[in-house]
Amino acid sequence: MTLATDTTRPRRMPQSLIAARNIVGFLLRSPTSAFGLFVLAVLILTAIFAPLLATHDPFLQDLQNPLQPPGDGHLFGTDELGRDIYSRLVYGSRISLMIIFLVSIVVGPIGLFVGAISGYFGGWWDTILMRVTDIFLSFPSLILSLAFVAALGPSLNNAIIAISLTAWPPIARLARAETLTFRSADYISAARLQGASSARIIWKSIVPMCLPSVLIRLTLNMATVILTAAGLGFLGLGAKPPTPEWGAMIATGRRYMIDHWWLVTFPGLAILSVSLAFNLLGDGLRDALDPKQMNKR
Amino acid sequence: MKRLLACAAFGAMLMTSPLSAPSAAWAETPADQLIVAWTLNNVLTMDPAAITGSETVAVLNNLYDTLAQLDPETNELIPRMAESWEFSDDNMKVTFKLREGVKFASGNPLTAEDVAYSLKRALLLNLPSSSNLKSRGFLPEDADKYFVAEDETTFVMNLPQQDDPKILIMELTQAGAGSIVDSKLVMENEVDGDWGNAWLTNNSAGSGGYVLTQWRSNEYIILTRNENYWGEMPEMARVLIRHLPESQSQRLALQQGDIDLAYSLAAPDLAALQEEEGITIETVPSAGFYYLAVSMKDERFANQKVREALRYLIDYDGVNSAVMPFYGVKHQGPLNSGVFGAIEEPGYTLDVEKAKALLAEAGYPDGFDTTLRVISEQHFLDAATAIQGTLAQAGINAEIITGDGGQIYGAMRERNFELLVGRGGGGQIPHPESNLRAMAFNPDNADEAKLTNYQGWRTSFYDEKLNDMIGTALLETDQDKQRAMYEEVQHYMADLVMSIQPFSERVVTAAYQSDVSGVIVNPWVSRFEGVEKDR
Amino acid sequence: MWRMKGRTRSAMGQATTVLVTLFGLLVLTFVIGRIMPVDPVAAIVGEDATNDVYENVYRKLGLDRPLYIQFLYYMRDILTLDLGVSIRTGRPVVEDVLHVLPATIELATFAIIVGAGLGVPMGVLAAVKKDRWPDHVIRIISLLGHSMPIFWIGMIGLLIFYAGLGWVGGSGRMSQFYIGLVPEKTGFLFIDSALAGDWDVFRSALNHVILPASLLGYSSSAYITRMTRSFMLDQINQEYITTARVKGLSRPKTIWRHAFGNIRVQLVTIVALAYGSLLEGAVLIETVFAWPGFGSYLTANLIIGDMNAVMSCVLVVGLIFISLNLLSDVLYRVFDPRTRAE
Repeated sequence: MTLATDTTRPRRMPQSLIAARNIVGFLLRSPTSAFGLFVLAVLILTAIFAPLLATHDPFLQDLQNPLQPPGDGHLFGTDELGRDIYSRLVYGSRISLMIIFLVSIVVGPIGLFVGAISGYFGGWWDTILMRVTDIFLSFPSLILSLAFVAALGPSLNNAIIAISLTAWPPIARLARAETLTFRSADYISAARLQGASSARIIWKSIVPMCLPSVLIRLTLNMATVILTAAGLGFLGLGAKPPTPEWGAMIATGRRYMIDHWWLVTFPGLAILSVSLAFNLLGDGLRDALDPKQMNKR
Repeated sequence: MKRLLACAAFGAMLMTSPLSAPSAAWAETPADQLIVAWTLNNVLTMDPAAITGSETVAVLNNLYDTLAQLDPETNELIPRMAESWEFSDDNMKVTFKLREGVKFASGNPLTAEDVAYSLKRALLLNLPSSSNLKSRGFLPEDADKYFVAEDETTFVMNLPQQDDPKILIMELTQAGAGSIVDSKLVMENEVDGDWGNAWLTNNSAGSGGYVLTQWRSNEYIILTRNENYWGEMPEMARVLIRHLPESQSQRLALQQGDIDLAYSLAAPDLAALQEEEGITIETVPSAGFYYLAVSMKDERFANQKVREALRYLIDYDGVNSAVMPFYGVKHQGPLNSGVFGAIEEPGYTLDVEKAKALLAEAGYPDGFDTTLRVISEQHFLDAATAIQGTLAQAGINAEIITGDGGQIYGAMRERNFELLVGRGGGGQIPHPESNLRAMAFNPDNADEAKLTNYQGWRTSFYDEKLNDMIGTALLETDQDKQRAMYEEVQHYMADLVMSIQPFSERVVTAAYQSDVSGVIVNPWVSRFEGVEKDR
Repeated sequence: MWRMKGRTRSAMGQATTVLVTLFGLLVLTFVIGRIMPVDPVAAIVGEDATNDVYENVYRKLGLDRPLYIQFLYYMRDILTLDLGVSIRTGRPVVEDVLHVLPATIELATFAIIVGAGLGVPMGVLAAVKKDRWPDHVIRIISLLGHSMPIFWIGMIGLLIFYAGLGWVGGSGRMSQFYIGLVPEKTGFLFIDSALAGDWDVFRSALNHVILPASLLGYSSSAYITRMTRSFMLDQINQEYITTARVKGLSRPKTIWRHAFGNIRVQLVTIVALAYGSLLEGAVLIETVFAWPGFGSYLTANLIIGDMNAVMSCVLVVGLIFISLNLLSDVLYRVFDPRTRAE
């Protein structure tokens, strides 16, 4: 048993490190994915240093000073309650990151777990779990999350739960496919012969092997997550006021947009650039990991 | 990357250009059609026995006639189907003389039988419209006793209890319980003893200026002129009421000439349209208030000092100037303005120091944490956010909880809330009783009573003396004495510090093409029969 | 898709699978419908209703029965194709769905024409000019469409092309006063207005569909572009293309005659899948454009908790998705030898 893990580990770790370095290197060579990486770095830094970057308190109303155009002390103008839009966008980046983060840590484990069990045990487990996955996959994800949010009651947390509920099936599919390819590998058989429990094999051998592709898949999903969250916010089913969630900001700003374009334009551009960044990055990752494409270079 | 920036810059440039200037109106509406934009989210049926909400009332006002109507200008009672009426000496019976020769759209004559049938139907179906009758003491089991057709043109209404019969007639001016349906036609379409409810949901059987051609939920309502109409023929052969939930869409459509009349415009758009040539904006007072309500189930708000502190923690001027234009005007008293007996405004102002002192007296020198419920419509949210801000100045941290009407008012109905910014408080009928019933009266404060239609009950407000005062004022037959009694009620309420503090009186605003005339803006009394187009 | 024993899945097996998935769908929609916190009764009776009115309506809707009984009734109704009556419209849900679905299908059809019309040529071009500037530009253009919040770009489109320039129609399927003028025979406005010979309405409809359909199509073109590009690359790198070039065929000719010819089937399945996902984008764009389609219907009913309608809608969407998946699956297996070999 110890032998099995010992033989796989030293070989795996450096390899994945090298792979990661190669991938980042590859991404940076392509201008489009480099741009994606850059925007994401900006997003993360903005979220971390939000209090330093914000010029105003994002929640502070100034009812005497609503709907001020950009300029004059307010970089992106003020909204209908006189709040500084730039500062709200800056703080909104935290919400976006939180959504991405929470969805990932919910979806990743669920998808991995379901996929690994399904792939490893096969048979009835596989049939049942994959059937459940199929049921979830047979809905467009936005409509399913809409229904879930409506069922759970509209709030940011419920929006995150709803998005997660709709985002795990593709991950499970992927993890299952990966597991199937490893299942009959020699070291797994060896571990099994040595009497390792199934739980241990899945945890120690299968999950780590699936992890890289699952992580990549999660990244690819992020643009969709961002857009779905914004869509829910727009429909009034996401974050509650006065939370500066970008989609909700657009929904509110919409009522003023003919005369006050800045209310919707800046949050829209923020969503656009983040989701574009994820898409570009995802596109780059896809190229980086597609062996066919790599060989041709 | 450069390209992206260029795109963004181009987009921004397009947006900054003066977009609100409309191009040539290439879509002008036909001269004999009225195209109305409205928010029809709350329109769920066309059956007068089941309707709620001002939009549906406005639509049904055109389909059905009522015994009397309120003059849209003066709020006075004037005849409609009833040419005259008289009260018995004990005020327990009203005899109506009906207009002769009136036909329903179907061609059937309108008789006292139809009036009696309609009222019984409304009472017995036990759907929303029955609430109006039941709250005046009508009991379903005695329906036959109350509504009697003496002959073709004489209709008698027997009151179930001592009351001011004027109020009853006022209640019946509104589409709903008061709508007179074509009893023959309805009975032909009855299924399983449903009083024609299923059929009337999508059809009309009235005598009004229009008949219902088609209703598509959340899409449109099409009304066609009633060729059998008893009054002066309406000019508009067809009225299309289009569901356009977004104020900005309504505004654009109005500017582009796609629609003639827009009812649910938001304040910023109204402000912008005011500058526009060829568009008229009209604001009229309407029923009810915007208010801050507390649940007196909560021991903090059961404390009179705390409620009084809240009274001084609303920036009445700020909210009304920043959030409420076109929705409401500053108002603090419990009666709608223009209702007889309304006393002078109390003149409360934002006074954080005074509020702090009151809170300290009540034992909350540092304030407390609470929640503030509000429906997620923009001006409600804005008002709640503003109030949240001023409450915080005295240390009251109110977390805003939003939801749709069902969720927010549902919580209130279950008496499960702390603070709530809402709208309501009666006033559809220009009688003090209407406001007081809705806002202050609560005959039984027990949870089991479930008197959910009284906001007094919903907020767990109960004061026996006040109930009595409201009751006796209603029954006073001498006008001057009655007025004095209602004034006294209001002073007493101010001393009590009610559970509901109005900060704004509701107004409604509509915008229309200037060549359209005869529009009645207040939905409760609105009718399209007098609308004309000069085109 | 999941695999049964052996390489060939019998039609029976496939049918059972679909049925099981459908049943799961029903359970899921029922659960969603019944745990909704939205109170449909409150929406019906209004906020001033007395309590016995409330109770009366509550009973009429059958909400007083135990959940499993409600589920059995629900199943029975579905099996007899009776989807119930919508609370919000007072009509049978089937009738409502048949009324709103054509509006969305019309929108989605125009959108997919735009999406495929944009995506396929861009994909081909990107493949041919791989790693040169057209490839990069196309990648950015198509990903930009994919990254845009569709509701946002819809609003901005309305602002620019309707309010500002007056080039297109505004909210809705046609100019407001045309509503109700053309008899609704098929529900497809273009067909109905053509049947009635009312070309004004037809033009107006065209004027109104163009903007939302273009935006929706643009947003879906990213997927089509990417897939086209990757299919084309596979073909271009195959030997017969090189052979054809060597034999003296010109490059564009080779590409069109050979490479593109070979990916047609794959493209059809991709477009079918993209078509299905347009339904999703439609929810948001319909809200922005006051488009009386399936998405608006679904969201409006979600908000008031009209469970019959919501569950039926979810069911219909599920059905459409399952059949599209099935279709593309079948097409793929029939026409593409590689999937069989995999």
